[in-house]
Amino acid sequence: MTRVAAPKILLVLALALAAVYLFPLYWMYATSLKGASEIFANPPTFWPRDPDFSIFPATWERRTMDTFLWNSLVIATGVTTLTVLLGTGCAYVLARYRNPWIDIGLFAILMLQVLPASVMITPLYVGFNQLGLLDYPRTAVIIAAAGKSIPFYIVLVRATFMSVPSELEEAALVDGNSRWGAIFFIVLPLARNGILVLAILTFMQAFGEYIYSKSIITTQSLQPASVGLSGFLGPNSTDWNGIMAYAAMYVTPIILVFVILQRRIVSGLTSGALK
Amino acid sequence: MRRILSSITDGKGFDLIMVGVTMLFLFALAGVPLVYNVVMSFQQVDMFNLNTFSRPFAGFENYVAIVSQPEFWLVIRNTAIFVFGSIAGQFIFGFALAIFFMLSFPFASTIRGLFLVSWVMPGLVVGALWGWILAGDFGVLNAILRGLGIIDGTMFWKSDPNLSIWAVTIANIWLGLAFNMMLLSVGLAGIPRDLYEAAELDGANGWQRFTTITLPMMRSTIGAVLALGLIYTLQQFDLFPAITEGGPANSSNVAQYWAWQWSFQLFDFAKGATVSMMMVIFVLIASIVYVRSTRHEVRG
Repeated sequence: MTRVAAPKILLVLALALAAVYLFPLYWMYATSLKGASEIFANPPTFWPRDPDFSIFPATWERRTMDTFLWNSLVIATGVTTLTVLLGTGCAYVLARYRNPWIDIGLFAILMLQVLPASVMITPLYVGFNQLGLLDYPRTAVIIAAAGKSIPFYIVLVRATFMSVPSELEEAALVDGNSRWGAIFFIVLPLARNGILVLAILTFMQAFGEYIYSKSIITTQSLQPASVGLSGFLGPNSTDWNGIMAYAAMYVTPIILVFVILQRRIVSGLTSGALK
Repeated sequence: MRRILSSITDGKGFDLIMVGVTMLFLFALAGVPLVYNVVMSFQQVDMFNLNTFSRPFAGFENYVAIVSQPEFWLVIRNTAIFVFGSIAGQFIFGFALAIFFMLSFPFASTIRGLFLVSWVMPGLVVGALWGWILAGDFGVLNAILRGLGIIDGTMFWKSDPNLSIWAVTIANIWLGLAFNMMLLSVGLAGIPRDLYEAAELDGANGWQRFTTITLPMMRSTIGAVLALGLIYTLQQFDLFPAITEGGPANSSNVAQYWAWQWSFQLFDFAKGATVSMMMVIFVLIASIVYVRSTRHEVRG
């Protein structure tokens, strides 16, 4: 499909497409900097007339964002830890063997990946309630969300392990290493990048988790930032510059991490098929 | 004893433990709840027997009650619009962009990668952004459409019952487009270049090359992307509470949000379980298509 088209024109076109696509992000930042009357200007101003940065500390204070973001951080850290601990070993074994049992296991994992959280939340809530887990709402959310992210993690980390030649591991075993030694000193270092990227993706997803937290955590001081945002968001919202300032402070760290690691995240997601 | 111990550190036992622990965890958090969901959908569940296992058996009462709800067909219709609208939009725009970014120009893969930022953002934030963009009187989308002369008046995306489901669908297309594009790009990158060169020598034009090489070679990728689209669209929940809350008058309510409302706003967990069981059937059909079309890559 390579044509003799002028690359520069294509580059400009690509940048224009990206600008259109990423306009919602620009609009978030632009709106957050507008004053209370300017957001309702008709037609809207595409560049804030009088950027006002004081909205960020004000919203942070008013919406108790430190508590919300701390809870998001706790939940995301918990989910990521649990996912990496439980998922890595399983992905490794599933990558090393080829037999019908492994196929059944893989099939089961793929099926688990497709169950919507909105389906699982009803039985999980009732079950957690019976087990008394609802007294520890953040832990309950961590366990539930890890159950959702582990299948996704296993499928992609397994692809990373498959790219590590098993001959290297066999050589280590011949040299007198134990299985643990071979895994820790040979396989894991070689698969490090893939595992890291998937762990970061798991973290980002858990950082934005909403439905489990909304349903399980009823104490406001334990809720994550997504539930905090939903508290003043709805069909009749009017405080748009405040909402956008909140949203901006919530996603900017995620966007920064994504932009810095973009290349690795994309190749981790597509298992190296796309450079 | 010694043999078992050494099997754990060095042999088969090691592998079994690695897989077994994780599988048990997943079974407890997905397998058991799924079965429990089926059980609950045949029970009468209320706030008083929520904590016990002995609940009155209800037979198909919950299913009959759900189907005879006045909004049942409206929710089905909305779910269909949301699912097919999202998949069509994500796939068509995603495919077009994927083909565009296969052309060779500087920074092509970097710019393509930037698109994926929509996919890593929290769903609720995406909902907030689009809720503001789609606002009726002050929304920027209406201003842009008016400026381009496409509409004269004001489109009340979120409060007009005829438009509200489309408002959420537009947001979801934006959210999932980049992921579609990325998967389709992988498929496109796997087509050997010389096929196109040979076709070009034979005098095939761009459209012919697309229909006779690209589409047939992409068949399994397209199958996987469409099935994944169905799966992810049925998983999409966050946009609904953020943009319309299913309203006005259920005109933008879909099965996944309806199920949640039954359980967590009306506290009728049995009905919530019933609606979600109906959804699971669709999800299972989609996942069979998905597993069949990815079997190749997964077993690789």
